[in-house]
Amino acid sequence: MRGKAYRGLRDGQLVELVAQKDAGALEALYERYGRPAYSLARRILTDETLAQDVVQEVFLSLWRDARRFDAGRGTVATYLLSMTHHRAVDVVRREENLRRWRTSDEGLELEPDPKARVEDEVEASERRTEVRAALAELPAAQREALLLAYFGGYTQREVAALVGVPLGTVKTRMAAGMRKMKEALQDAGREEQHPWTRQ
Amino acid sequence: MDTPMSHSEYEELAAGYVLGALEPDDEHVFQQHLSGCSVCEANVRELEAVVGGLAYAAPPVDPPDTLWAGIRREIRPEAARRTSIPAAAPGPPSGAGLRRPRLLPALAAAAAILLVVVLSLWNLNLRDQNAVYRDRVAALERATQLANDPSASLVTLNDQPGTTGAQATVIASSRQDRGVLLVENLPPLQRNRVYELWGVPGGKIDKAEKALVFVPLRRQGTQALQFEVPIQPGTVFAITEEPGPDGSEKPTSQPLLVGAPRTA
Repeated sequence: MRGKAYRGLRDGQLVELVAQKDAGALEALYERYGRPAYSLARRILTDETLAQDVVQEVFLSLWRDARRFDAGRGTVATYLLSMTHHRAVDVVRREENLRRWRTSDEGLELEPDPKARVEDEVEASERRTEVRAALAELPAAQREALLLAYFGGYTQREVAALVGVPLGTVKTRMAAGMRKMKEALQDAGREEQHPWTRQ
Repeated sequence: MDTPMSHSEYEELAAGYVLGALEPDDEHVFQQHLSGCSVCEANVRELEAVVGGLAYAAPPVDPPDTLWAGIRREIRPEAARRTSIPAAAPGPPSGAGLRRPRLLPALAAAAAILLVVVLSLWNLNLRDQNAVYRDRVAALERATQLANDPSASLVTLNDQPGTTGAQATVIASSRQDRGVLLVENLPPLQRNRVYELWGVPGGKIDKAEKALVFVPLRRQGTQALQFEVPIQPGTVFAITEEPGPDGSEKPTSQPLLVGAPRTA
């Protein structure tokens, strides 16, 4: 067990401490978001070593320049996971052979995770259930467009080619899918109040 | 994009933008629009939060221990120069706090001594020394910081027959589950042998947990080493000799030094 003293601090306070080169604060953030970040990188890259490299670089980037985080633009969780996503997609676009996931739902379990660990962060577990439920509610074509882009790192034109529909249709599907996701998550009342978005 | 776009078309691009899926020309057009449109800017913020949530749709995978170890290795040089445990941070209740009144003078004295040691080392211009020295400074800074932790306890390890002259002290924090070992005059080891520090809950040797593996200094002087191990009230610390280079998972020899926290 590590860093008990930091556990009562909010994400924003931890980032402030990281900016002062407090390793314990970085470790506390890693304990909160290292697992979802690594899970995301593994899902996109499928390669353990590349996923580790990406997540390591994300946390080192926060360490080197925590001031880049702007609380006015979003939560710490969004910041770290977005950075993980961007970097993983950059890697996968360089490494075309990593794109093994021809269908976007492959490797995703849209049912609640049956193996969720007891010690898993309750917030993360709830968030996972909620996001998967929202995805499961989407029309299949919209879900496919979103997941090919998000987990596959495909551009809209590439998605259009893969699915065999016009580019305009993909744009419309993505926009509609994201709008529905936003509404579903807002309906769940978690967008602002959920603990994992704490600042 | 030669023809002007309607605002609804920009709104449509927002989803692809936050997903990082726009083609370069669309991205350029949207970014230019975004810089002057508060409506789209607000929409992008909201959609970025949704995208952040999508990460949780990935099947959960535990990161390997080597991941944090790699991060820690990279940040260690800077972290050693600045470590601050927030004093006001709430922590779980700890029985170790009961020892605070009696230990405060000892801890203050330890902090003062350590400060002198740190300053002495600083005078040796350690910034230009190698990583071994930096680690020692980090350990001493950690010890100074732990001395101000109300949950910290000071444990003197007494030498057992056969280790004449060896001295060791542990400053351990039950709140942080970490501490610092200060040790000197341990006998030199044969090749491929190491010393190992154990945290022993309640003094029950079968419950011993590995805290630290180390080899003694070749020259005279106090060795300062950081460690992490679960620490509860009543945790006994012991040093044994073990096979190297990684030590053992459980003690395989009689302790050379043993110390128990004072009880109320």
